[in-house]
Parts: sequence; structure tokens; C-alpha cells
Amino acid sequence: MPMFVGVVAGVAVVAVLALIGIFKMMWRVAEPNEALIISGSKHRTEGLEAGMGFRIVTGRGTLVLPGVQAVRKISLDLNETELHVDCVTTQGIPLKVRGVVIFKVGDDFVSIANAGRRFLDQQKMMAERVHNVFAGHLRSIVGGLTVEEMIRDREKLTGQTRAACGTEMEKLGLIVDSLQIHEIEDPTGYIKNLAMPHAAAVQRDARIAQAEANRLATEAEQKAAARMSEATRDSEILQAGYQAERDKAAAKARQAGPLADAAARQDVVVQETRIAELDALRREQQLQADVRKPADAQAYETRARAEAERDARISAAQAKAKETELAALAEANRVKTAANAEAESIKARGAAAAMATRATGEAEAAASQAKGLAAAEATRAKGLAEAETIKARAAALAENQEAVVAQQLAENWPEIVKAGASAFGSVDNMVVLNGADGMAEMLAKALTMGGTGLGLARQLLTSMNQNGQTPNGTSALNGLAAPTVQKVPVEKDEG
Amino acid sequence: MDDAAMVGLMGRVTGTIGPGLVGEVIVRVRGGAEHFLAYASATQERIERGTVVMVVEYLPPRTVYVTSAYDS
Repeated sequence: MPMFVGVVAGVAVVAVLALIGIFKMMWRVAEPNEALIISGSKHRTEGLEAGMGFRIVTGRGTLVLPGVQAVRKISLDLNETELHVDCVTTQGIPLKVRGVVIFKVGDDFVSIANAGRRFLDQQKMMAERVHNVFAGHLRSIVGGLTVEEMIRDREKLTGQTRAACGTEMEKLGLIVDSLQIHEIEDPTGYIKNLAMPHAAAVQRDARIAQAEANRLATEAEQKAAARMSEATRDSEILQAGYQAERDKAAAKARQAGPLADAAARQDVVVQETRIAELDALRREQQLQADVRKPADAQAYETRARAEAERDARISAAQAKAKETELAALAEANRVKTAANAEAESIKARGAAAAMATRATGEAEAAASQAKGLAAAEATRAKGLAEAETIKARAAALAENQEAVVAQQLAENWPEIVKAGASAFGSVDNMVVLNGADGMAEMLAKALTMGGTGLGLARQLLTSMNQNGQTPNGTSALNGLAAPTVQKVPVEKDEG
Repeated sequence: MDDAAMVGLMGRVTGTIGPGLVGEVIVRVRGGAEHFLAYASATQERIERGTVVMVVEYLPPRTVYVTSAYDS
């Protein structure tokens, strides 16, 4: 029994599996990017006219009878094809255009049907076909454009593309999503030259902007550097200031101990000084009390005594002076009186004496006058007599000069001999070699010298006579002068 | 999907429509948005890009005739 059940279950499972397998073979599903084209046997025509002979399924599953119906897939994916085309623009400039066309099979059934009929077995070659189509069309498109339009006016490019290719691609069941021009090779340099003014302007602007930016940057840098230097300087100044303060504080702290010691010592010294001062003051006070006050008292006593004594002496002296003055006054009076009396007496006596003297004088004067007259008479007589004598001698001289001279010599001989002997006067001790004869000889020589002088005098007189001088008159040689009359003044007392 | 489904749909012009030009409109259809080659239903009309248009005629596979949706 269980055996039977097991078999039935197994058969059922196999049957189920077989059914699943058969269903899998018959049920086809179209993926989003593909369309199924089913042909064969009978079918409903969806969206297509009758007579097409196949149906198109997109986006769902469908039952397909194996062996009766054929199922083919056509991809709705995007395709692209590269374009390399040599073209010429309307300006006649040759260009090499590199572009790409992006296209796909249209999503509507008509497009799928068209594409299916054309490319179902040649889906790999679709790109090549499209390239061929587009290569020709691109030439015509570029030929209808200028270089500037091609570069700048994409709208116009796409418009031309649609105009040239749109309907053509419609025939193939394709739609063109975009036509891109990647690169335009420009063998003549037209585009480069076209860009050159703009590039130059841009370059100029760029250089200007660069220079301006450099300038601003340099200014900012220099400003920043200056500010940095300023900040550094300020900081260093501040640091130096703080360092100085620190050093100062440290030095102060180092000196604090000694300073405190010194201050304390100073206080001690001040106090000691104060004590000493107080001591001195106390001693002074003591001395004042002990010594000075007694001394002062004593001195005062002494002074008072002395003053008293002095006053007493002064009073005594004053009294004595007064007494003396009075005595002197009395004496003076007395003397004055006596003198007056004496003077009177002397005056009287003088007068008497004067009278007497006068009388005597007058008498004596008369006597003297008489005596004088007598003497004058006598002198006159004597003078006359001498004058007579001289006159006589002069006459005698005039007659015989030699006699006179001889007489003169004779008269003066002793003087002459004396003069000759005066040479020996100064001789203390004379030695005479010839004895007594020698002595006599020498004296004779001396006397002969006197005789020689006599001869000399005679010659002198002779020469004088020859000159015509009168022999009378006084001569220096005779040694006599004329007597002079002398008057003797006589004082006369006229009184 | 038949022709009637396209007619009356609103779309937006992505390529200028005008005489001598092949325009382009994008239309919401079949759960997505597809572009179609477009011509003006009034022959001398010129429709700039961005204008909202209505499909008045659909020529399979990819061509529509449109008219401006809002008379300006």
C-alpha cells in the first residue's frame, strides 16, 4: 500500500516537473531592451495590419509553440558608430571631421517591424550600414555650413542632421539620438588663426591679471613682512623691558638682605647716637648744675664787689680832683698877683737902667769918634810914606834890573836854599860814598841849580823889556803888591 | 497601440519647427518619452523650441504633425 502511494507521488512529481519543463519551453518573455518577433502559424496581429505574417511582443511574456512558431529577438539597445569624414565647408576650406552617431531601433511597432525586416540577421553590421549612410550625409551637412557655424551653432548642425538624415533613418526603422562632432582637423590652420586674436586677448588679460595679482601678492607680502618686523620689534622691546624689570627685581631681591642689615644697623647707630646725645645733654645739665651755677654766683659776687669798690674809688678820686682843682685855682690867683707885682717892679727898674746905659753909650761914642779920627790920620801918613818908598824902589829897579833881581834873590835866598834842600827833606838815611867831599859836592850842585834858576830869571826879564813893557808897575816876580786902603766900618749906636 | 493613441497627445518642441526645417518634438508615449520628427500642421507656422504642442496627425513610423497647444 505505501509502495503504491510512493509510486503515485513520484509519478505526480515527475509529471509536475515535466509540465514545468514544457511550460518553460513554450513561454518566452521579452526583456525591456528587446522585442520578440514571432512568426509562424496563426496569431493575433497586434498593432499591425493583417498580412504582416509575424507579431511583435515587447515587455511581456507570450506562449510560443515550439516547432510551430519561430521566435527572434531584436535589440532595442543604443548603438553608436564612429565617423571619419573628409569634408569641405561652404567657404571651400577642407576639414577632417571626427564624430559619432548614436542611434537605436525605434520603440514603436512600425519601426521595430522595419528594422526587423532589414537587420534581424545583421544586427552586428548595423553600425557599418549607418556609417555608410551618415558619411555621405555628413559631407552634405558640412558643405552647408561654415566653419564658424559648425563650431558654434550646434542647433543648426542638429537641424541639418535631422533634415538630411531623419527621413532616411525613418525608413530603416532607426532613430538618431544624437550626432556629435568630436574633432575637426584643420590642415590649413584656419581655426587656429580664427582663435588667435581671441587667444591673444585672453593671454593679454591673463598676463595683466597675473601681473596685478603678483603685485597685490607682493604688496601683501611686504606689508605682512613689515608688520611681522614691527611685531618682532615690539615684542623684543617688551621682552627687553620685562627682562630689565626682572633683573631689577632680582638685584633688589639679592640686595634685600644686606639692605635690611644696613637699615637695622643704621637704626642701631641712630639709637646709640641718640643715647650718646642724651648722655652728653645729661652731663651738660649736670655740669651746669654743679659747676656753672656756683661759678656764676661767685662771679656775680666778685663783680658786685668790684663794682662797689670801683664806685667808691671813683667817688674818692672825684672828690680829690675837686679838691686839687680848688687848690690850684687858689695858687694861680696867688701867683698871678705876685707876678703882676714883680712885673711892675722890673718895668720900673728897666726904665732906670736904660736911661743910664744910653748916657754911657753916648759918651763912649764920642770918645771912639775922636780916637778913630786920630788913627785915620796916622794911617794916612804911614801910607803916604810907604808909597814914597815903593816909588823910589821902582825907579831904582827901572834903572838897574839886575840889581833889583839880585836884591830880590838875596832877600829870598834862604827860601831858595830851603827849596833846594827840600829834595833831601824826604831822605831818611843817605849814604854818601865820597865822605865829606862828596857831601860838599852835592850841596854845591844843589846851589848851582839855584844859580841856574837865577840865570833863567834874568833871561825872562830881558825878554820882557824887549817886548816894550814899562818897567814900572807891579810885577809878579818882585813879590810886592801895592798897599790897599781898607776901610774899617764903625758901628754907631743911634740911641 | 494604434494611430488614435498618438493623436491628441501633448508634446514639447526640442527642435524648431518651421517651413524648410525638420523639427523635433518629444512626447510621452508607451510609458516613456520618445522623440518624433515634427512638421507644423499649418504649413507656414513656425514653432520655436520649448513650445507645448499637440499632436494632430501621426504618420508612422516617426513623423507627427503638430499645432501649438496654446494660442499665443
